Amino acid sequence: MSRCPQCATELETPVGCVACGRLLALDADVTPFAILGWVPTDEIDARELHKRLLRFSRLTHPDYFAAASPEVRALAESNSARLNEARDILADDARRADWFVRNLGGPDENDERQMPKEFLLEVLEWNEVLEEAQAAGPNAATTAHLDELEQELRAQRAETIDSIRARLTPLPARGASSLRDIRRDLNAVRYLDRALGDIEAQRLSRPAVR
Amino acid sequence: MGYIELEVLNNSASELALGIDLGTTNSLAAVWRDGRPSVLHAEARSALVPSVIYFPKDGPPLVGREARDQAVVDPRNTIFSIKRFMGRGLKDVGPELASLPYKASETERGLIQLEVRGKKYSPQELSALILMRVKNIAYAALGGQEVTRAVITVPAYFDDTQRQATRDAARLAGIDVLRIVNEPTAASLAYGLDQRGQGNVAVYDLGGGTFDVSILSIEDGVFRVLATAGDTHLGGDDFDQRLAEIARTELRAKVGPQTIEDPGFQQGVRLAAEKCKIELSHQPEAEMHLVVPELRLNWRRRVTREEFDRITADLVNRSIDACRQALSDSRLARQQIDEVVLVGGSSRIPAVRARVEEFFGRKPHTELNPEEVVALGAAVQAHILVGGKRDMLLMDVTPLSLGLETMGGAVSKVIQRNSTIPCHATEGFTTYADNQTGMDFNIVQGERELARDCRSLGTFQLRGIPPLPAGMARIAVRFHIDADGLLTVSAKEESTGASAHIEVKPMHGLTDGEVEAMLKASFDHARDDFESRRIADLRIEIGTMVHATEKHLNAAHAGLDRESYLDLTEAVAKAKNAAETSDPVALQKTRDELERATLPLASLLMNNVAQKALMGKSLNDV
Repeated sequence: MSRCPQCATELETPVGCVACGRLLALDADVTPFAILGWVPTDEIDARELHKRLLRFSRLTHPDYFAAASPEVRALAESNSARLNEARDILADDARRADWFVRNLGGPDENDERQMPKEFLLEVLEWNEVLEEAQAAGPNAATTAHLDELEQELRAQRAETIDSIRARLTPLPARGASSLRDIRRDLNAVRYLDRALGDIEAQRLSRPAVR
Repeated sequence: MGYIELEVLNNSASELALGIDLGTTNSLAAVWRDGRPSVLHAEARSALVPSVIYFPKDGPPLVGREARDQAVVDPRNTIFSIKRFMGRGLKDVGPELASLPYKASETERGLIQLEVRGKKYSPQELSALILMRVKNIAYAALGGQEVTRAVITVPAYFDDTQRQATRDAARLAGIDVLRIVNEPTAASLAYGLDQRGQGNVAVYDLGGGTFDVSILSIEDGVFRVLATAGDTHLGGDDFDQRLAEIARTELRAKVGPQTIEDPGFQQGVRLAAEKCKIELSHQPEAEMHLVVPELRLNWRRRVTREEFDRITADLVNRSIDACRQALSDSRLARQQIDEVVLVGGSSRIPAVRARVEEFFGRKPHTELNPEEVVALGAAVQAHILVGGKRDMLLMDVTPLSLGLETMGGAVSKVIQRNSTIPCHATEGFTTYADNQTGMDFNIVQGERELARDCRSLGTFQLRGIPPLPAGMARIAVRFHIDADGLLTVSAKEESTGASAHIEVKPMHGLTDGEVEAMLKASFDHARDDFESRRIADLRIEIGTMVHATEKHLNAAHAGLDRESYLDLTEAVAKAKNAAETSDPVALQKTRDELERATLPLASLLMNNVAQKALMGKSLNDV
């Protein structure tokens, strides 16, 4: 950990100094883990993460710089944006895994497009249920079908996330072959999330989103 | 020590900042005083300034109550609900326009302009008039202290164009916006819910023209908006319309279709419907009552609460659907909601209260006036911003996803909705032709898959890309949403480090140049406006004084000496004549003269009151 250039206190975060309140310029390549003072790992304690977000937000949120110079305001804006982004990545199982795959030299979503045939058949099945529900309109039977599908999809999502997390503990080596499997699982999560979104939209019997 | 300096500044008067609720139906300001927020009002009147503007034949526009009173007489020159038009295009507001009596057009960039007395005004300029009025009332209420900095609230659902339009309106009104805050967030601040260590709050805000519901979490004094949902076209006005519809149906046979369509008649019906709705909040039945002497119409219609609830049930249902959506987005269960806050005049409707309580399974907060609660909260936030205090922090999310239109009209999401702001994202682009130096983009906001179903925030053009073979240029376009929820876009070519130039053309909005030009024009007119305003104010004041004096002429005759009485009647007669003049100096003189002549009457009346108060009391009681 480096020290604050103003008061020499050891820094908890590179966005600024908790001790003296000084904001610090962040290099573009500082990782989300470093921003939150976290050793890279897939083990994330949600409460601790939240605590750090609040602690560091009190340091850098633009509201505290309403009367400051444009340069300082800009720094507060950008550091807050970086902090929020870092928290979002660390807090979300899928985004965190995506970050690891990218940064450990694994394939991105365009390099690894192939999905297993069985999975694609399943996707077709969900879509059928969704289309039928849409055609039938909201009624008790539709609701039951959608509930059932949702449960199934949520269970499958949880399972996929578990599989991803198992492959990330301990963190794979750079360029490991397991990164390709994680990417495939992440692609499956994207399909699942899209279908879950469709169910939610139908349940509220309104267009997908405003 | 920076902190000590801040504390000192904090105590000085110049560090005041207003909290302004710029509402669809009413607007008002509040300020932090003596350790708590309080609303600012002119004398004993309600703090609510109707968001209504009236353009008289000559002289400057009137804003507020006086303007609203003109609605029935002269609807074509009275502007209502201008907030609905902020940052919108004609296409968006078509249905409302049909029910409103003014002419509207659109500039080529989709900026709506309303035509009043042959002159065109943008919603930004009209909202600026309301803000100026609110600012002036604050000025008077603070004993002549000018406050130019403010926190202004907007519905949580406002997109970037609407927020930007609000900011531009404030600039036109000479207000320095410290922060744009979502209304429901302000409401929770007003209730001091930040004092709870930890909890989740649902804020249900049914105002005059907009509805939104937000789920917030509070932890150690930090507010996070977990989710917002709502409907920018649901509010008290819609409840009025349902009653007005009954009136129109039943009156059609009586007055004929032509009268029904008459704008003045429609405004009359609207006001009668609104009055009936308000009464139904306190009593089980009420009457719609419409009197039009010229038509010899004296129409009454009894409405029970049950009938009212029936004809408005779908409106309440729509709001509850949004509650369900927000709750689902927040990933909380109903049992996890610890507090429910009601905001907006329409939250007084008993059926609304009942349904909200039923849905969230909690009795909602109603201790504060639901029409003042947002301004109060804005004043709390303004106090935090000027005070630099760090014991509270407001963290907000962006209500809608932000994306770019791609080939084939699809949307590529750049920032997901409910991302905590400030936030940013960078998208990479490359050229598709050799030596291509420019590219065009359409920025959209919304959740739909196709760009045409989302709202276009504007287009931007990328220029100055260095000439390279197709696919070689690497342009990084950076989107940043700031703490106010406003978007800025910047770009850089990464292989050469050249910074590409970006020009964003806002849809439905004003460019910086246009705002500057309007500001300059208003400075040029400021003197005229000031004179006209002063004349109008003096006339009103003289009118009020004459009216009050005439009411007590009998008492004056009986109680004053002859000389004072003659002096008084003479001054009143003079004042009545003088009201026609447009010379501010003469008007001022008349007013002062009248005030002097009414002094004996005033002390006589005071004595009478005092005597009455003392009558029948022994000296010991006094």
